Amino acid sequence: MNRATLTLLILLLVCALSLVAAQQRARKLFISLDRAQIEEYKLNQDWLRLEYEQRNLSKSARIRDVARNQLQMVPISPERTLYLKEVK
Amino acid sequence: MRQVGFSATPNLVLRLPMWRSRLMLFMLFFVFMLLLIRAFWIQGPGNAFYEAKGVRGTQRELELPASRGKILDRNGQVIATSLEAKSVIAYNDTVPDDLAADKIQKLASLLQMSQVELRKKLKEERKQVFLKRQVDPEVAQQIKQLEIPGIGLNNEYRRFYPEGEAMAHVVGFTNVEDRGQEGMELSREKELAGHPGARRVVVDRLGRVVEDVAILQLPQNGKDLQLSIDSKIQFLAYNAVKSAVEQHRASAGGAVVLDTQTGEILALANYPSYNPNNRKQLNGEQLRNRVLTDTFEPGSTIKPLTVAIALEKGAVAPNTNMVIGTKYLVGPKPITDTHTYENLTVSQIIQKSSNIGTAKIAMNNLSAEEMWNFYTSVGLGQTPKVGFPGAVAGTVHPYKKWMPTDQARIAFGYGISTSLFQVARAYTIFARDGDLVPLTIERSPDFKPGTHVISAKTAIAMRSMMESVTESGGTAIKAQAEGYRVGGKTGTAHKLVGKAYGNKYRAYFAGLAPISSPRIVVAVMIDEPTGGSHYGGDVAAPVFSTIVSETLRTLNVAPDININQATLKDVSPADIQTASAKVQPAVFKR
Repeated sequence: MNRATLTLLILLLVCALSLVAAQQRARKLFISLDRAQIEEYKLNQDWLRLEYEQRNLSKSARIRDVARNQLQMVPISPERTLYLKEVK
Repeated sequence: MRQVGFSATPNLVLRLPMWRSRLMLFMLFFVFMLLLIRAFWIQGPGNAFYEAKGVRGTQRELELPASRGKILDRNGQVIATSLEAKSVIAYNDTVPDDLAADKIQKLASLLQMSQVELRKKLKEERKQVFLKRQVDPEVAQQIKQLEIPGIGLNNEYRRFYPEGEAMAHVVGFTNVEDRGQEGMELSREKELAGHPGARRVVVDRLGRVVEDVAILQLPQNGKDLQLSIDSKIQFLAYNAVKSAVEQHRASAGGAVVLDTQTGEILALANYPSYNPNNRKQLNGEQLRNRVLTDTFEPGSTIKPLTVAIALEKGAVAPNTNMVIGTKYLVGPKPITDTHTYENLTVSQIIQKSSNIGTAKIAMNNLSAEEMWNFYTSVGLGQTPKVGFPGAVAGTVHPYKKWMPTDQARIAFGYGISTSLFQVARAYTIFARDGDLVPLTIERSPDFKPGTHVISAKTAIAMRSMMESVTESGGTAIKAQAEGYRVGGKTGTAHKLVGKAYGNKYRAYFAGLAPISSPRIVVAVMIDEPTGGSHYGGDVAAPVFSTIVSETLRTLNVAPDININQATLKDVSPADIQTASAKVQPAVFKR
């Protein structure tokens, strides 16, 4: 066996091992990408849920109920409103 | 004795025929050829089958979920949204027969069904049984923790409607398959629906995804839809209708609010209604979108249209005096009024809602063709193009079939039918100086040009006549709204029961506000009021009043009467303090 063959053999081995390593890394990265995508989907769902909850808490029926019954407020009426008119 | 070698013994000399070895050779060659062909087949033409077999072991197709679009109101508030839910499935050949009793009991209570019912479902012949659909994710998690073999969860979506009853008829609802069944959910199904995608992945021995092979189809989420409806105005309109129906012990009611400048529908309320989030006991009465799908004889609400034709033609003026009397004979039955007037001006005919006066204006000045053309040009007898399922056209019979008695009665709203929505739309010509605006249910807040129908002069004259209806001496003083000048027309129509007019009524009020520069058209209908009065001026006008004042305040429209006004220039910070000192005690007064 001459020297050139030996060098080539070592090179081949190194390449083969690095291919295995690269594939392993690709799979790991893919798995974390997949996890991140699932996470993204979940967060999206959470956002929709929170948006819905916020809407539920701010809907007209609830605001009216809280304003009238808890805060003892009455609707505004023109009689006791001072309207300001901007003069240009 | 000649020595003969064993191998040379002549007895053993066998001359084998040449063909036998040839045959052997050929057979060996043939079998090898077969192997070669087989190898070639596997590598070449037959490859796909083996590749598919290999793929089946390691690759899976996964669904990429797509959600249905949201429905938003004009201010971007959510009125319909899809949230994730789970369906619980039993794979009956995997579920053990001797399942522990406590697990069944737990599962049944989580699914809110009886144990008997659950056991029956688990014994069904089918391989897959839906135990329950659209289960809350938290409940689904608890079911998963029970770890019952053969009970699986599937992803799906559930639709939620935060506005509930108030918005039910506008939005509609979807079924468990997430497809629209009513309202906008149905009519805009194509845009709202999402299309799930699919991807192919490589999985390892444990079923974990390790590699993406290909995206077979990208998921397409449904488009969001923004309506012209204002959920605040919708809510207050719904409540006004609801409390009027309850107060007058009526069978139903409806109201519609239109923006006269943009042609947008701001509110469309119906009562009785239903909760779209929970549709267990639903009946047809609750589902009906009366504003659009119920036609009725519009009664007196059509009088302003009839008078407008005569004004436009120049046949009468608002102050033209007319003899009225007690009855007016056209055809077999005389036309009468609820009160008797000797003389009325055209203005007063509208103000007092005189049937005789309107019939006389029509019979003396207008041809059947003119009336038919006008009613048709403001949209009566035609299906409104607003993209609502079930919107009806009503009927305006061809004028050639009108007898004089028909013409006289059509002039004050009997013998034709319209929906409340059509009446409201027709009234936009008075609100907009004579042009009819195209209406829309989708948000589009720019001014829309309309189709010219009558002159501005006629429209302005009609507005002041309609305002007089709500002033003292008119039929609808109760329509007056706090802070705003309003105008409109009452209507009280006998309901046709079978072929005769029975003892049931419909009360309407249709009008516009503020008169100084009309911004909204509101039409109200209360069906079969039974508690006391059944007149439009008593039953429907107060609803109009509430809706108008609250809507205009919500829209920040400046009042045009009775206001304490100051200009910014002459208001100093000190003034604002004094003013707020005056105002505040009132706010918290109960």
